[in-house]
This record gives sequence, structure tokens and C-alpha cells, in this order.
Amino acid sequence: MGAAMIAGLPLSNRVRDYPESEFRHPLPHEAELTAGVRIEPGRSYGFFTDTTVCIGCKACEVACKEWNNLPADNLGLTGDSYDNTGHLSANTWRHVAFIEQMADRPTEMRPFQSNWLMMSDVCKHCHNPPCMEACPTGALFKTEFDTVVVQQDICNGCGYCVPACPFGVVDLNPLDGKAHKCTLCYDRLKGGLEPACAKSCPTDSIQFGEVADLQQRAAKRLEHLHAVGVPSAYLYGAPDGPGATGGLKYLNAFFLLTDRPEVYNLPEAPTRPSDRVAPSLLSGLAAVAGLAVAAVALFSRRD
Amino acid sequence: MNFIPLPSPSAARPVSDAYDGTTYYGRPALKPAPFENSVVGSYIFLAGLCGVAQVIATVADVARAPRREGLVRRGRLLSMLAPTLGSVLLVYDLHTPKRFYNMLRIARPTSPMSIGTWILMGFSIFSGATAAAQVAADWVRPGWARLLHGIARTTQVPAAVAGAGLGTYTASLLSSTSTPLWAAAPKSLAVQFGSSSMASGAAALAMAERHAGSRSLARKLDTLALAALAVELGASVVSEATYRTRGISAAEDAAADTRTIAQIGTIAPFALQMLAGKGKRSAGILSDLASLAILAGSFCLRTGVMEAGDESARRPQDYFRFAKPGNLPK
Ligand code: SF4
Ligand code: SF4
Repeated sequence: MGAAMIAGLPLSNRVRDYPESEFRHPLPHEAELTAGVRIEPGRSYGFFTDTTVCIGCKACEVACKEWNNLPADNLGLTGDSYDNTGHLSANTWRHVAFIEQMADRPTEMRPFQSNWLMMSDVCKHCHNPPCMEACPTGALFKTEFDTVVVQQDICNGCGYCVPACPFGVVDLNPLDGKAHKCTLCYDRLKGGLEPACAKSCPTDSIQFGEVADLQQRAAKRLEHLHAVGVPSAYLYGAPDGPGATGGLKYLNAFFLLTDRPEVYNLPEAPTRPSDRVAPSLLSGLAAVAGLAVAAVALFSRRD
Repeated sequence: MNFIPLPSPSAARPVSDAYDGTTYYGRPALKPAPFENSVVGSYIFLAGLCGVAQVIATVADVARAPRREGLVRRGRLLSMLAPTLGSVLLVYDLHTPKRFYNMLRIARPTSPMSIGTWILMGFSIFSGATAAAQVAADWVRPGWARLLHGIARTTQVPAAVAGAGLGTYTASLLSSTSTPLWAAAPKSLAVQFGSSSMASGAAALAMAERHAGSRSLARKLDTLALAALAVELGASVVSEATYRTRGISAAEDAAADTRTIAQIGTIAPFALQMLAGKGKRSAGILSDLASLAILAGSFCLRTGVMEAGDESARRPQDYFRFAKPGNLPK
């Protein structure tokens, strides 16, 4: 396989082998054709979500629900712009955030020019995943594709992964009592397919690939944006940058943003909860040990 | 067609130090722990009480406290509440309880819940053996009793070590999450929980000693409980100061009532014991009241921290203020 620029996209030369538009059988290593990457165990895969080209179509949300057979969460309107999904949950593994910046309009912007920020949020598949580090059953694990997945046949619904996640991603489903979140389409990756959300994204706002490759692509995109006059662009979740602080190192699913992280409901400097285990345990034990010594003194006093 | 270029968005990006109060429609950025606070709070309380009961019984035995037999027996028996009732509470709080045994698949040092599972296992085995030897010794002929006491004297040591862990690991269970109020002060919260465990264990056993007519041991245990309360008070001052400087103390209002009981439970016993020291006929009642206040306070400290933590996770402003580079561990 060789990667080439075909119609402006970094696609495999193999696309030329399949001129037809409908297929009767799954194609081997289909991701080569759709994302220009061959999926092999032992490598790191992730998402690069470039929010500057997101148009808020929610194709990713729908594709995710369809492929993963996830029911709807909320059939009402939230009143929060076009975001009627609201948040990631046990049944919603992609969530498109809509930020309508009204305050800027009268002063800085001409009429009819929109100031929308849209961002398809997802599990970050952290390099050092706090959810996995917290899971006492080993249900949460790192797959051979370096993604983070809950094994449904092992999770006992203790719920400890939920507060552990610094991004509020993983959640319990009250109906089955198990934790659920994005699997980065583990089943599709095993079959050589690009994840459903990335494949369905019409603007390539969601790009799937090998993490190192995506990080390079993102750096190039960033350079380009800075050059054409978007100085506010930055990466969220790139190595040791915002979103990958406090020992998280980097996020396999990272983002290109143009406003401060909080605008997208993301923390600027999350931490790695497991760093607090030892200090906490040792301080508590020291307190009890100190008091036990006091008890020895009290008890050995004759009266 | 000519598009008007976007105004360059306000300065100080990509990252700025001051948090300007931005949220995403006020929606939470975190999910609160799906624990049933009364259930898990009760477990944390019981774990502290039982773990420390074993520590006190062992210390009294090893230090050869005068007239210690009753205290040692009651401490060993009291500690059995954790393996029994405590375990039931833990399994009950699982959302798929029939898979509780999956906790025993792995041991994971990054997960206080896994650490705690194994501490509870160890505690159950050694405390169970100690209590069983104790009960058996009370029933058999003196020759056998000596052997059984010897067994209990051996098993009580690892039981007490596990007991100390049982009384404190629950703080690191809360601190090792992303919930701001739990994560903010891991060390002082652990000291609070550990000393509160000690206070509750000492208070419960003191009450029992008093009613068994063992005044001097009761007084020593009361002193131990007050010492533990003093440590707890000191640690809580540190925690509160941390919450305030990190700007996350507002979440505590969500648990105002529980916190009030917890505070009464840490301060009132000092006054009650002082009065008991002066009074003659009502001394026993006042001391019992002090013990009960300590137990209630210890329980409410745990549920109060849990409730307030949940609220802090629901408040995006608190989390964003907390998750700033300035707050990162150095
Ligand atoms: S974003 Fe949350 S759920 Fe996803 S891997 Fe990281 S800690 Fe786990
Ligand atoms: S809820 Fe399931 S996946 Fe989450 S920590 Fe507990 S056992 Fe692990």
C-alpha cells in the first residue's frame, strides 16, 4: 500500500482498485481506503477532531448510535442552541457541542456572519486512562489498538470509573447496571474498518489514524491556521499540552480548538487521580499510627 | 464575494491562568459518583469503626493494659461488623451485585477500590480468625483456652494492620477521583478520616467499658477519642482552607445539615467530657452522650463529604477553577 494525495485527501492507492460504488462483500483493510491507514494490532490509534471544520451536522452522533445500537437519551429540546444531546452518557458516545457566541455579535461582528463553535466530543482514550486505573475488576482495559474499552462481561457496575474520568465521559446505564463509553469501534478496528463516526464525518473534522501520524497532521494544520490568521487555534490533548496535564501525558483522541477549553466544557489542566493514592494512604496511616502510639501510652499506664 | 475576516478572538489563548467563569450552558463537566451516599457512607463509617476497634483491642492486649480482657473481647467482636454488614453494604451498592466476585479478579495498586477490596479481605480473614479464637476460648476448658488465646494474639497483629488500612483507605478512595472537593486535599482528608475512625472506635468501646463497669479503661478510651477528635479538627481546618483557596468551598453548602452534625460531633464531646469530669451523678450519662455525639459526627463527616463532593462535580465553575495549571501538583 502506498499513501497518495487523491482528490486532495491522503488516501491509499488502493482506492483505484475499487471503481464501483456498491460492494457485495466487506473489503479487506477497508480503513486503507477510507482513512488511509491499515489497522494492525500493537499500534496506537486515535482521533484527531479538528473543530474548525465541524459543521455541526451530527452525522457522527447518528453513525455512532446506529453502529453501536445505542438508544436515544433525550427526545426533548434543551434550549441550549442546537445541542439537544447535552452530554456524553452511557448511550451517547459522540456529542456535538454548539457554542453560539452571541455576546460578540453587536460589537465585533457584522450581521449574518456567524460566530459558531462546534465540536464533536468523545472519550479521549487517555494515554494513562484514569477510568482504567480506577477500575477494580479489570473490566476497563487497553486494547491491542491502544484504546480504552469496558469489557461488558466483567464490569460489575461499581461505578468507580465514573468520578475517576477527568472529562465526565464514562457513565453507568441504570438499565443494565454496567459502565459504557466509546470503544473507538473496537469491533470495527478488529475488522479493519475505520470507526463509524470518523467514516461518516463529511468534512473530515473527525480524522482517524495512528496517533503519531495524527499528531503530525494536527501540527501541520495548526501551522496553517496560524499562518492564515487564526492565532487562537491550539491543540487540546497533544503531548503535555492543555488537556494532557498532570501525568495524563497525551490523549489518543485529541482536538484542535480555537477558544479556551472551558468554552467546550473541557478542563484546562486535568490531573491523574492515581497520583493521589499514595499521599492519601500514607497520611491516613500515619494519623492512625500516631494515635495508636498514644493509645499504647495510655493503656500501659498503671492506675 | 468578500467575507469579513473573523475578529481575532480575545487574547490570552491558547491557555490562560485566570478562569473567567465560562461554562458550557452551565452543564456539569464531570459526572458525580453513582454511589448511594447513605449506603457507602455507612460502609465508610463501619469500616473505620471496625478497623480501629481491632487496632485498639490489639494495642490494649499488646500493651498489657490492666483489666483488658473485656475490652479486648469486645474490640474483637465489634470488628466483625465490617466483614459482615460492611461487605453486604458494598455489594448492595454495586449496580450488578451478582458479579461482586469480579473484584477479586485483579489487584490494582492505582485503584483504592481494589486496594480496599484486598484490605477488607485480609481484615476479614485475620479478624475473623481472632474473633473465632476469642469466642471459642470463652467456651472450652482452660488448657485449650490458652492455646486459642495464643492463636488470637498472633492473628490480631495482621488484623490490626489491616484494620488501620480499613479505617483510612476510604479517604484515598474519594481523593483518587476527579471530583474537585475530594481531590483537593488528599492528605488532610485522609487524616480526617483516619482520626475520625479512631475517635469512633474509641468512643464505642468506651461506652461499652462504662456499662461493663470498667471505669478506668473507659476514661482512657475517652481520652483517646478526644485526642483523635483534636487531630481531626486540625486536619479539617487544613481541608477547609484548601477548599477556600481553590475556590471550591461553595459546594459544601449542599451538605450543610450533615456538616453541622459532623461539626457538633467533633466539638461537643470536649464540652460534655469536661462537664462529666465535674459532675458526679450525671457523669456517666454525659460521657455516653459524648460517645454518641462522636459516633454521629463520624458518620456525618463521611456522608457530608460524599454529598458535598457530588455537588462539586455538578458545578462546572468549581471544576474549571480547580483544573487550572496553577493547581497542578508541582
Ligand atoms: S476520557 Fe475518561 S472515559 Fe475516556 S479514557 Fe480518559 S478517563 Fe477513560
Ligand atoms: S463500573 Fe465497571 S468499568 Fe467502571 S470501574 Fe466499576 S467495574 Fe470497572
